Amino acid sequence: MNDQWTTRLSEYIDGELDRTEQAALEAHLATCGQCYATLGELRQVVARAKSLSDTPPATDLWMEIAREIRREKAPARRDRLVRRRFSLTVGQLLAASIALVLLSGGGAWLALQPLASSEPTRFGGSTPRPRVGQVVTWTGHTDAAIADLQTALTQNEKRLDTATVRIVRENLAIIDRAIADARVALQKDPGNAYLNLHLANTMRRKVELLRRVNDMAAARS
Amino acid sequence: MVATLAAAMLVALAPQRQSDTTFAVPAGASLSVNNFGGGIAVHGWSENRVKVHGETGRRGRVEVSLVGNTVVIKTGSREGAPSVIDLDITVPQSMALSLSGTYADITVDGVQGAISAETVNGEVNVRGGKGIVTLHSIQGSVTLADASGRIEVNSVNENVELSNITGEIKVETTNGEVMLTGIKSSSVDAGTINGDVLYEGTVTDGGSYSLGSHNGDITVSVPEGANVTITAATANGDIDSSFPLPMTSTLGKHRKTFKIGSGSARMELESFQGDIQLRRPQELHDRVDRKHKHDEHDNDHDHDKDHDADTDTSFSWALRSVTAYATRYAAAYAPKYAAQYAAQYAPRYARQYSKMYSRQYKTIYRLNTH
Repeated sequence: MNDQWTTRLSEYIDGELDRTEQAALEAHLATCGQCYATLGELRQVVARAKSLSDTPPATDLWMEIAREIRREKAPARRDRLVRRRFSLTVGQLLAASIALVLLSGGGAWLALQPLASSEPTRFGGSTPRPRVGQVVTWTGHTDAAIADLQTALTQNEKRLDTATVRIVRENLAIIDRAIADARVALQKDPGNAYLNLHLANTMRRKVELLRRVNDMAAARS
Repeated sequence: MVATLAAAMLVALAPQRQSDTTFAVPAGASLSVNNFGGGIAVHGWSENRVKVHGETGRRGRVEVSLVGNTVVIKTGSREGAPSVIDLDITVPQSMALSLSGTYADITVDGVQGAISAETVNGEVNVRGGKGIVTLHSIQGSVTLADASGRIEVNSVNENVELSNITGEIKVETTNGEVMLTGIKSSSVDAGTINGDVLYEGTVTDGGSYSLGSHNGDITVSVPEGANVTITAATANGDIDSSFPLPMTSTLGKHRKTFKIGSGSARMELESFQGDIQLRRPQELHDRVDRKHKHDEHDNDHDHDKDHDADTDTSFSWALRSVTAYATRYAAAYAPKYAAQYAAQYAPRYARQYSKMYSRQYKTIYRLNTH
């Protein structure tokens, strides 16, 4: 996964690409399974982050940092300061990076929201809770990708025998019902982490099935 | 007929209705078979030769060739529509296999190499396999037994069953059950949309187990003495255990967390419509035995595994803090995703946060210097 678009996926999710770049990336996604899969995973991160509430840390770390800076500026006390080296284990670094991902996923989600709440929060920023009707906005690009794959399948399925086409359609319908179930439940409980993940996973299954069948049909051309 | 394959060979089996060929193969050779319709049966033996038996019918033909270090077997038809051909192939036990078909049933027995098997309309039944084992079917059940390594098995419209497996396991179907028994694994990921999921196996310290369904029950065996944190979530079903569990947290009616022992393994059990059942291994042994006996007497497959859904879709889940959430998922996902996401997000957020904090540092610095 080293193509030029890999590092742009988060910007794509956050809606920060201009129209030309967005169109180019979407064209790339149609042909690059790894980027598409990565995008799906990033969206899952966003989905997980949707359930997070902005809870401040138990202690205000910045005050401690500021106090240390002041101490450092005071010559009389400087000799009492013990210089500390930050030494993090690999596990701590990994945990920190994942925490960053989750937080940035939350940022991405916030960026995705068309209307930010004006209610102030304890973090000083705005933390809009998803509202009914906004619940599944994060699925937009996946919906589009599924639509593209279904269009491709409609064109390709003539290469498949009718029994296979019937089975595939039946199973796509089963997945669609599961997606619909999850969406309805999410409308009633937008912040539910399990439901967001369940919807994301179910949509991923649909994408994978569509891709698999399209690949199978293409192999017979 | 015994032949030694040199750089390349082509054997077009004679136009009899059946024929055999046996030939020696170089060490480390692999096998690739493509058969449009019929059957592919592969058996392992201790000899360093490959034996190919084909039931070709009147129009069918079988081509055998050596491409590089791979024995390639293809079927075709002398005229008209593709023929239905049954292949029975015997190979060295350690041979790696790549088997594919369209209307083909695939069976493998007694092979201890890597196995890839894929069909569209047909069953895949494999006993044995070591290393990377991937089995796929669209319309057909898939079973795997006595294998070890990295296992990936999926169907679309049928059941998937694994037994006596050691290694990393990923299993998926859409309209079928998932049954995993006799599993020794520290990594299991199994899911379906329409069907039950059953797991009977080890729960290894530090392991990761994820089992999910949309319309089915999740049943899991938890051995005594296991160290596992179980998160069970269901939208419309119940969570039930046959043994006492120490409750760690309850988030709403339908999501519970149990920490057993040190809790070092992570087990996530999720079903939208179905129940989640925690059982002791012996209970599941008995249940599986009863099911197998029942299946032997019941060939009427019912693919409608829907559960009646009640109307309770209310959730009252609230995750308490970013830190707790991040820590939890860091443990589960860090090894896989950290490098990928860190590379992706670090440059962007490093810039953003450096700007933000540099302003604050400057302010403090100014306050202290004036």
